[in-house]
Amino acid sequence: MASADKLINTYVPEKDVFALHFLQSLSNLRTQNPLNSPDKSIDRVRKIKKAAYVSMARAAGGTSRLWSRALLRRAAKDDNKSVRFSRRKRKVTWKISSKRKRSNQRAPVVEEAAERLRNLVPGGGGMETSKLMEETAHYIKCLSMQVKVMQCLVDGLSPK
Amino acid sequence: MSSRRSSRSRQSGSSRISDDQISDLVSKLQHLIPELRRRRSDKVSASKVLQETCNYIRNLHREVDDLSDRLSELLASTDDNSAEAAIIRSLLNY
Repeated sequence: MASADKLINTYVPEKDVFALHFLQSLSNLRTQNPLNSPDKSIDRVRKIKKAAYVSMARAAGGTSRLWSRALLRRAAKDDNKSVRFSRRKRKVTWKISSKRKRSNQRAPVVEEAAERLRNLVPGGGGMETSKLMEETAHYIKCLSMQVKVMQCLVDGLSPK
Repeated sequence: MSSRRSSRSRQSGSSRISDDQISDLVSKLQHLIPELRRRRSDKVSASKVLQETCNYIRNLHREVDDLSDRLSELLASTDDNSAEAAIIRSLLNY
């Protein structure tokens, strides 16, 4: 059983870590665009949404989680930048060959549901099913934290 | 059990996860999802948990969308409905 002793860590930082990252992100949005306010509200919403996901990924551990790495990579690609990742000791495969995934089949009905999950979790496409579930647990915790932060902000800004 | 493990460890250098850990992960997921937390019985199947997880994630994404929308509106508005709102807006450079 020695090889199965991998600790499954789903530690998530406190809400104020997420809040701080998000507020910084939001205030940066304005300093990037001080004089000309984006005309289209759709652009504004898109930028805020992106700030939410990126700040969430950073608050949750940046490049130490597969889903946050995938999220940050995706966001950086949008901006035509590149993300610097520290070299990980474990070999990271960017593409899991289909042969490997197939060899890891759990019950087919579980695999089918896992496939749908892979499309929802950032970076899920290359993950083994068990890793996918671990990442999903962490992703869900962080997402709900981020939602709480945003709700607080909306409540603060709303008319009393 | 050991024969299963050895046949799997052939494929890669990473440690193999046992089926026990899979069901452990499934139950962890189950606790995280509000829908399923209410039915604390262990009778929820793994595929049901994964299915509900998908729904939950989709809902969370939708909430982020909705809240982003409202935030954008609220930040852009110039009526200072409350002192708190004015403070927050000035903090964020709006």
